[in-house]
Amino acid sequence: MVIVARSVTILDPTVEAIPSGTLIARRPDTLNGVTVGLLANGKPNSDKLLDFVGQLLQQRYQISALVARNKGNASRPAPAPIVDELARQCGVVITATGD
Amino acid sequence: MATLASQQYTVESPLEAIELCYRMGWTDGLPVVPPSQQRVLQFLEHAGREPSQPVLVEPVTGRIVTVEKAAINAVMAGCLPEHFPVVLAALEAMSDPDFNLHGATLNTGGSAVMAVVNGPIVQRIGMNSGVALFCPGNRANATIGRALHLVLWNCTGNRPDELDKTVMGHGGRYSMCIAEREEALPQGWQPFHVERGLPAGSSAVTVFTAAHPLQAGYHGSPDPKEILINVADTMTVLPPWNQELLMVVSPEILRHFDKARWSKADVGEFLFQEARRPGYAVRRAHKFRYSYHAQAAGDQDMLPVLDRPEALDIVAGGGEGGAFVLVVALYGNGIHSRSITREVQLKGTQEV
Repeated sequence: MVIVARSVTILDPTVEAIPSGTLIARRPDTLNGVTVGLLANGKPNSDKLLDFVGQLLQQRYQISALVARNKGNASRPAPAPIVDELARQCGVVITATGD
Repeated sequence: MATLASQQYTVESPLEAIELCYRMGWTDGLPVVPPSQQRVLQFLEHAGREPSQPVLVEPVTGRIVTVEKAAINAVMAGCLPEHFPVVLAALEAMSDPDFNLHGATLNTGGSAVMAVVNGPIVQRIGMNSGVALFCPGNRANATIGRALHLVLWNCTGNRPDELDKTVMGHGGRYSMCIAEREEALPQGWQPFHVERGLPAGSSAVTVFTAAHPLQAGYHGSPDPKEILINVADTMTVLPPWNQELLMVVSPEILRHFDKARWSKADVGEFLFQEARRPGYAVRRAHKFRYSYHAQAAGDQDMLPVLDRPEALDIVAGGGEGGAFVLVVALYGNGIHSRSITREVQLKGTQEV
């Protein structure tokens, strides 16, 4: 029996990763006079960690204000109102996970 | 003829094509059907869909799964063209924000996407809703479920060398797809997709982010209460306040419910009342000890596994011989992810 090899053309099943269009924001030269947002991700203790970070920053800089929020659910994106509020009020936002 | 956008690779034989898929990292570890252009075009033709149409968008990375990519992966999974509309409907369901695709498929706990198919299409494509329900052996069940996970593998980065962080993983990620055994439902009970608001006679698929299931079985009595006390006991290993919980119920138990004239709501109410653990046990066993809810509960307060009676989803399925249920918790106890139902659009019936 003669087996004839048959060429096969197949299609690529993958989707290319999209290069991130996100740009890193310009870093402020100082935190003096800046409103700092603290966004906990909803895991237990993430808010405690950020409280501690906030206290340290207040000791070291003349922070204008701290705005602490918790997105409440580590698996889901932060609700739009929280993101909008932090974007509107803060010059810097720090986020944290915990468990 | 539709124009396809995907890159093409030519090799000398079908076997070489299968090996190329391995080398490229395109398989789940099992061999795939080589996705030739001709076969992919058959799938597109059957579904009557444009190849460039998006069906699924990864919400964080922004990767877009088109009908073409879905078809390529469905071919590879071993689907037939008539299975493809079910695959498309499931992928569209997985796009719903409440399904939470990113968190649900990449988390450390590691759920699988479980699909439940309803309606006339179940018979038409020969799906299994009966004996050996979650076992290998039925082509439609096996390949539709596999196609969904191959799409996640190849298109959205749901693999350990990219975004997946699951610690133990889940065997259902090879495939986890069943049909509801609608003919076993007690009098007055609606098929699952009809409960979700779709018309009787339509076909639909519902996707769940399934954790590892728990099986309960009780053969001591035909009394629904005695059967469900056993189920409730099995359920109490779960954390409290599940926002959604799936239970697949075998025909034998459904016959007992039918004779006793129990409704789905009766079953939900009974399990809501009976599947409970005291506050102290919940606090010491779960990280909910941190939660304000659990902290506020007294040691002897009985905390319910179901957040409310309606949190229980009931699907009929499985073989005749035996009074068994499968309890399937959802990712994050239904807080992080909800099941989503979509109608299966057959060619000529989709909205324009």
